[in-house]
Amino acid sequence: MGESKARPAGKGIDALMSRDGLWYRDAVIYELHVRGFYDADGNGAGEFRGLTLKLDYLADLGVSAVWLLPFYPSPLRDDGYDISDYTNIHPAYGNLDDFRMFLEEAHRRNIRVITELVLNHTSDQHPWFQQARSSRDNPRRDWYVWSDSVERYKQARIIFTDTELSNWAWDPVSKSYYWHRFFSHQPDLNFDNPAVLEAVWEVMKFWLDMGVDGLRLDAVPYLVEREGTSCENLPETHGVLKFLRRRVEEQFTEKMFLAEANQWPRDVREYFGNGDECHMAFHFPLMPRMFMALRLEDRKPIVDILQNTPAIPDFCQWGIFLRNHDELTLEMVTDEERDYMYDEFARDARAKLNLGIRRRLAPLMEGDRRRVELMNGLLMSMPGTPILYYGDEIGMGDNIYLGDRNGVRTPMQWNGGWNAGFSNADPEQLYSPIISNPVYGYQAINVESQRRYDHSLLSWMKRLIRLRKSNQVFGRGTMEILSPQNHRVLAYIRELANERVLVVSNLSSQAQAAELDLKRWKGAIPIEMFGGNLFPPIGDLPYLLTLGPYQFYWFRLRRL
Amino acid sequence: MLAETSAISEEFLRQLTAVGEVDILVGIPTFNNRDTIERVVSAVQVGLTKYFHRERCVLINPDGGSTDGTPEIFKNASVEDFGMLLTSNPLRTFHRVTAPYHGIPGKETALRTLFTAADLLRAKACAVFSPDSLSVTPEWVDSLIRPIYREEYDFVAPVYQRQKFDGLLGRGLLSPVIASLYGRRVREPVGTELGVSGRLACHFLESDVWEEDLTTFGLEIWMTTTAIVDQFRLCESFLGPKVQAAKQFGQDVAGTVQQVVGALFRCLEMHESFWKTRDGSEALPMFGFQYKVALEPLRIGKKGVLDNFRSQLDQLVPILESILTPQTLLALRNIAQLTDRDFRFPDELWVKTIYEFAAAHHRSVINRDHLLRALPLLYRGWISSFILENQKADGARIDQRLETLGGEFDRWKSYLIDRWGADIGGER
Repeated sequence: MGESKARPAGKGIDALMSRDGLWYRDAVIYELHVRGFYDADGNGAGEFRGLTLKLDYLADLGVSAVWLLPFYPSPLRDDGYDISDYTNIHPAYGNLDDFRMFLEEAHRRNIRVITELVLNHTSDQHPWFQQARSSRDNPRRDWYVWSDSVERYKQARIIFTDTELSNWAWDPVSKSYYWHRFFSHQPDLNFDNPAVLEAVWEVMKFWLDMGVDGLRLDAVPYLVEREGTSCENLPETHGVLKFLRRRVEEQFTEKMFLAEANQWPRDVREYFGNGDECHMAFHFPLMPRMFMALRLEDRKPIVDILQNTPAIPDFCQWGIFLRNHDELTLEMVTDEERDYMYDEFARDARAKLNLGIRRRLAPLMEGDRRRVELMNGLLMSMPGTPILYYGDEIGMGDNIYLGDRNGVRTPMQWNGGWNAGFSNADPEQLYSPIISNPVYGYQAINVESQRRYDHSLLSWMKRLIRLRKSNQVFGRGTMEILSPQNHRVLAYIRELANERVLVVSNLSSQAQAAELDLKRWKGAIPIEMFGGNLFPPIGDLPYLLTLGPYQFYWFRLRRL
Repeated sequence: MLAETSAISEEFLRQLTAVGEVDILVGIPTFNNRDTIERVVSAVQVGLTKYFHRERCVLINPDGGSTDGTPEIFKNASVEDFGMLLTSNPLRTFHRVTAPYHGIPGKETALRTLFTAADLLRAKACAVFSPDSLSVTPEWVDSLIRPIYREEYDFVAPVYQRQKFDGLLGRGLLSPVIASLYGRRVREPVGTELGVSGRLACHFLESDVWEEDLTTFGLEIWMTTTAIVDQFRLCESFLGPKVQAAKQFGQDVAGTVQQVVGALFRCLEMHESFWKTRDGSEALPMFGFQYKVALEPLRIGKKGVLDNFRSQLDQLVPILESILTPQTLLALRNIAQLTDRDFRFPDELWVKTIYEFAAAHHRSVINRDHLLRALPLLYRGWISSFILENQKADGARIDQRLETLGGEFDRWKSYLIDRWGADIGGER
């Protein structure tokens, strides 16, 4: 089963592109959960040894960085986002030596490693909180946010509306309330306490010293609380990030912060600071609008949000994605848009969770390969660094009958055999049932079967990723949106120095024609990038293209 | 399809191609409407966003060759802040297409253009708005479209709140005749706004009536009656008060009467086999919340209208002798002798006059244009009488009075049928 073959450090595209330290702008990131990727020791859950064995798969896929979901010791009441020890590995996933081995092997394959750092809160089982709650006089008491009343910070919204009624939870030990923006078993750290800041920095330093390349900073908007505010995006929160970034710059090179801030772009923009906070931040509002645009067969939602996305400092980058380990969040849409998304993508009420839809890409696309390809084509060609979610490269399905977001966190489907090739354990022992329905089940959808055929989704994804990575314009170039009269067609030019790429996508289920105003590039010859074929040169007249249902083109515009 | 597409220009077709299939098409035909078009476009855009934000919509402006910049205003009119208008931003691209149409400027060409566009774009529901409505609101979009789009009606006739003497041609002649003969009580058979399903629009297009001279107002009569005859589902929607720019009562009344009533008579011929066998009438389903606001009274020069009737009736007698029965003509001449205070145009006389005109028109007893030119004078006589009689009545009383008049049209339907096939020589 293992695939680990040591190979010399690459001098390929990734190595070349990382010379200026901006590797994250050229990267294709692959998000996975250690638990769900590969179980090497046969206990029913994946671990670092298993993940290490599958690094060749990731290298073959072409991704340049892996983002790992939390793997720290944890009671696992929020899938690891409830950390009880920041500087160790959950025993189920191995130990620190296993992690070091994984890191080394990943780097040997030119794959960077991004880990989670949950700054905002700990598990209530973390020793810091255990000490803090033990008495009001404990030195760690002030590491968390306490109150004798629930009247403080009333303007802060509740995020997990399906499960929490308040941001305050009663602690029967110290007989007072503690503040939590997420689950009540996740008390928020008090970043007004300099000791907390130093402790968090020591955690960061621990992992960066070990060789971790980037840190995804979870839930950053909520670090600091102030009365009379929403307790989100506060200046003091940005102060915390600037402090941590300064420390990183002083002691490390080529490290990256990726901010998770599910906010409007104008608010997220603040997390880049003046280039002195986070290197990257997720562009949350773009994602649902890509789905909406496809369903509406209208480019408007995408164009609107891109036009309302502010410029970001040099060297910074948006992180863009289609699906991830959470629900397809609908917080950053209007009520009408949310209703529309629910009606179109969550007809089964079980698919709804909080303000979102807990489904993977392929089921959201109703298994339509053309739509899956188009969505990935959009993702890979838009400004930002694309982030793939494990299993979506083969079109894995989900299980909405599992609770919370577990339905999109099922085991990776490696082959059509025992436990989908994920584990040798008894099926009943697996941490999660494997998807086994006739459409998305492991017998139909798995890596092994798709690796055999050039026309499989997996093979196609490999080509797409390689094409994306071979053209720096996608990660670093400017974007100019074109306005063909046909609103079902989304067209834009990506440009970097002398490199120009024209992207034209048909969002419709029907064939479409579009006339593009390309006069500025008169004389250039469009070269279709997947096949390398020449198209007629651009002249004075509008450039006419016809596109089949959900078809897209990437053209390099080459002047002779 | 070729015949249909020939009604629209190449540029128009090009724009439609870019729009693609739509769910809803709204048309605003224009001709030099620069002072009012922006408000209408904005109201429609807000209405579509508010009530049909998920649907694929297009707003089309067939322009009859405006020289005052109307098409440019149409294209540039935009709603800046949907939030302030208590609606969210539209989900979809909002398409606006404007193009001069081929053919003679007029509503019939504009409507044909719109219906052709509806056919090409496979629109499920269409609405037509007047470019000069000052009282248009976003709710009109919902009122005209929803019955079609959600309730599967095919034809939505508007119902306006009228000043008590406004729209009497429709209420005192067209509506009761249609109700009596076609069996459906349509309160505004010549409303300037209407809703039409895509399938009915296509049905209209297939008719060869477009080659005839039904004229602007006549087309609406034809659409209404055709929808009834061909078994489409009709309903009404209350829109509220109708205020039009620079509308003056009596403005070219004669021309309007000739056009509209001429079209009605033409429709009676086309639909003879239908209406002759129908009995009774039923109200159309009515959508929308009905409310009333105070309307500015119309200023009507009653004295001049009545004097006109009296002074010209005698001059028309030679023509009227060809059209009317001696009894009816005599009765008309008798009421013309009455003083202002006593002047009344009895319902029965009014009904027989109209029916005899219809039958004479059918039989072409004289040149039809000449026949129709005689009708406005009699309309002036009737309207003078109606106003004198109901000067102090309120709106409800007027409605009751018109209902009574409608009963007379019902009662004398057999009279029309008799006259329709009568030997004119024998009658005289």
